[in-house]
Amino acid sequence: MQGVAGYVIRRLALVPVILLIVSMVTFALGRLAPSDYAEIYAGGRSRPELIERIREQRGLNDPIPQQYVRWLGDFVTGDFGESVIYRGANVEDVIFPRLWVTVQYNAVVLVLTFLIGIPVGTWAALKRGTWLDPLAIGAFLFFASIPVVVSIPLLQWLLAVKLDLLPTSGWEVREVVGIKIGVLSEQAIMPILIMTLPGVAGVARYMRSQVLEVLDQDYVRTARAKGLQDMTVVGRHVVRNALLPIATIMGFELAALLSGSIFIETLMGIPGIGSYAFNSIGSRDYDSIMAIVLIGSAAFMFANLLVDITYGFIDPRVRLSGETALV
Amino acid sequence: METRRLIYVLTGVAVAIVLLIGVLVVATSGGDDDNGGSASDGNGDESPGPTGPDLPDRVEGELRLFGSDPITLDPACASDAGSAEYIVEIFSGLLGFDQDLNVVPDVAESYDTSPDGTVYTFHLRTNVLFHDASRRVTAGDFKFSIERALHPDTLSTVGEVYLDDIVGAEEYADGAADELTGVKVIDDNTLEITINEPSAFFLYKLTYPTSYVVDQREVRDATCFEGAEWTLNPNGTGPFRLQEWELGQRIELVPNDGYYLEPQPSLAQVTYLLSGGSALTMYENDEIDLTGVGVNDIESIRDPNNELNAEFHQFDSLDVFYVAFNTEEPPFDDVKVRQALAMAIDKDLIANEILAGLVAPATGILPPGMKGYNAGLDGLPYDPDAAAVLLEDAGGPGILEDVVILATGRGASPSDSLEAIVAMWEDNLGVTITIEQQDSGLFFQSVQDHDYQIASLGWIADYPDPQNFLDLKLHSESPINDSQYSNSEVDALLDQARSELDEATRLDLYQQAEKLIVEDAPWIPLTHSKPGILIKPNVKGYETPPFVIENLRYVTIEE
Repeated sequence: MQGVAGYVIRRLALVPVILLIVSMVTFALGRLAPSDYAEIYAGGRSRPELIERIREQRGLNDPIPQQYVRWLGDFVTGDFGESVIYRGANVEDVIFPRLWVTVQYNAVVLVLTFLIGIPVGTWAALKRGTWLDPLAIGAFLFFASIPVVVSIPLLQWLLAVKLDLLPTSGWEVREVVGIKIGVLSEQAIMPILIMTLPGVAGVARYMRSQVLEVLDQDYVRTARAKGLQDMTVVGRHVVRNALLPIATIMGFELAALLSGSIFIETLMGIPGIGSYAFNSIGSRDYDSIMAIVLIGSAAFMFANLLVDITYGFIDPRVRLSGETALV
Repeated sequence: METRRLIYVLTGVAVAIVLLIGVLVVATSGGDDDNGGSASDGNGDESPGPTGPDLPDRVEGELRLFGSDPITLDPACASDAGSAEYIVEIFSGLLGFDQDLNVVPDVAESYDTSPDGTVYTFHLRTNVLFHDASRRVTAGDFKFSIERALHPDTLSTVGEVYLDDIVGAEEYADGAADELTGVKVIDDNTLEITINEPSAFFLYKLTYPTSYVVDQREVRDATCFEGAEWTLNPNGTGPFRLQEWELGQRIELVPNDGYYLEPQPSLAQVTYLLSGGSALTMYENDEIDLTGVGVNDIESIRDPNNELNAEFHQFDSLDVFYVAFNTEEPPFDDVKVRQALAMAIDKDLIANEILAGLVAPATGILPPGMKGYNAGLDGLPYDPDAAAVLLEDAGGPGILEDVVILATGRGASPSDSLEAIVAMWEDNLGVTITIEQQDSGLFFQSVQDHDYQIASLGWIADYPDPQNFLDLKLHSESPINDSQYSNSEVDALLDQARSELDEATRLDLYQQAEKLIVEDAPWIPLTHSKPGILIKPNVKGYETPPFVIENLRYVTIEE
């Protein structure tokens, strides 16, 4: 099959295969690592016989392939297992509300990053040779250079304690047409700010170098020569051609955001999937870890697929070649 | 043409963002019904009101605490203080503690003890209802709850620890008996518990959540791992009722209107914020009413000019942090080596400088505030010269080559106090001991398997009795004697204390045992915690018990 549809279908067909491999590796790594949740639960004060009994009843003593097959059977039928850190809750009941929280603010961050980064980068490129160029890029590089473990307490102190403008942390939910939305509350402003500003630098710098490259192209000179207005040249010819490679880094940006979520959620009290991942790993909550890794991998693959499709939308040349590049 | 489409898309996104920000501003400026807090404007030309930004609704009489999700709310399964903190407020048992840490009747109105000290008869109150007010608690409910905690299928790690004194407990826990013979229902209001031999601390064990009463109609065959959905909405008997538990976000407790003891809870609501964040910053920003204070912040809070200084309180906690030796493993089977390492540690420096007075140096094993605490016990002194001589006698620093001290950790650098100890050993004895960190599960396994040389450990009281420390951790036959310490003289004293019913004699036996242990140095007791907390001035009656007991019903909030 040719064209976009064929390409998408080929890519989609690979998703389950990759997920299967990811699940095997994650599962094996988890079970082969020393200690398990029975031990953590027992906390060093129980008789070894009791720990053994827990392992026996929970099936932790079965051969790993057998455990894997049992887990896989449950997982594909939608039973993600029971959480150990939230005793009494099913993993699927914990993970999806948390995923939704993470997706919400990351989506806003992603959009804002590009919405600020693209104009800043373009502007900096057009101002090359003046002091405005290094100033703009430098300012955002400054934000990018501050690790979140520093910027979070700093901003909490400044915006919450000193200026009393925002709450320090947490996550407030409002119902908008029956959907629980958290990014509309004041609590969301600080994490969004903290995650957006560092990201802008990367996008802006990349955009700047792309625009500079395009500005040297013959067709830009031609456009100018035929008397088009500056705005039109930049808008129609320069930015459009510079945007193409920018789409590529959107995929990387997403990966960076997801891993950044672990810090920001743990430090800022956001009940998203990042803090869940952090706690699950510490407690050897096998079923939770599996679900988080697989959903994370799937999200990453779909995001990249989306980027590739966007690519085709921006540049028809890509659409036609129909490669089966993997991720 | 394509460009135009792109511009449309970008414009659309920009408009969406502007709308989003607009909605945000509207929502936060008091127009929203379900969030009609203070009207502080987003654009900042007005100075923010005294209540600051639009914080979550503050219910009048609400106590706001920083918390974390309990591992479980099942009383039979909880083995950690974090879970017990909630359980003691939501559930209740035959006995409890008053605020002076005396054991007092709770669901039981009174109890009799047989002359030989092995049979307890509990007379239950007749006005104790479950939270849903559908049924009163009977002796049968207690029998169900106690048997359930011990049942092998329940997989509770605490059942055997707290209930093993009861006649028939071992057979029942092993699945060899169908009934726990030591617990008898005489009638609806009378429960009889028989224990194997007289014990001065059995009643303490009954104050722990393990034997608290649960509603068998909702618990049914739930174990510690499966079928635990009921704990998300438990039907308890305690002074507070769980109104909401939103995983990872908040727990809300509201008073149990039918509570049977005085005083009844006066708080309108207790809210635990579970989503984490920086507790001290939240406290300063008036988002929570109470917070712990860590070593990093203590200095500035101790400063009398700091406005938080007046809200700072410090209290004793019944615990001990120590270095344990694997006494079966050479060279630590040699008492001189252990003493040398013990005497080379300057505990005052650790307690007062490194840990900034948030701990007290430990001379013995039992913490201050614990019954039987021996203030006159000097312990092994800090004496580097004597320590060096002892080590020389034992074979010199060479015998401590390649020694590893094991500690818990998740990849971060080891604690400052542990690094200080290792540095003191290096300076005073010339030995280089390496710190190895393992994550908690593996660490406990290594310690339990005695697969270590030296380990950095802590022990927190389950109940305020010396038996909980000395007998449980240092009797040669105890399954959790991590240092494999064995001294027949100590064993004899501990055995004698177990069944000694005269309090003064019993505590004296424990003090004798403690003295011998400290000299033998299977442990180097380092510090006892003295945690610091900040409490808002309008929160009254908040006591800081040295271990988890039910105490929120004594708290009031003054407006």
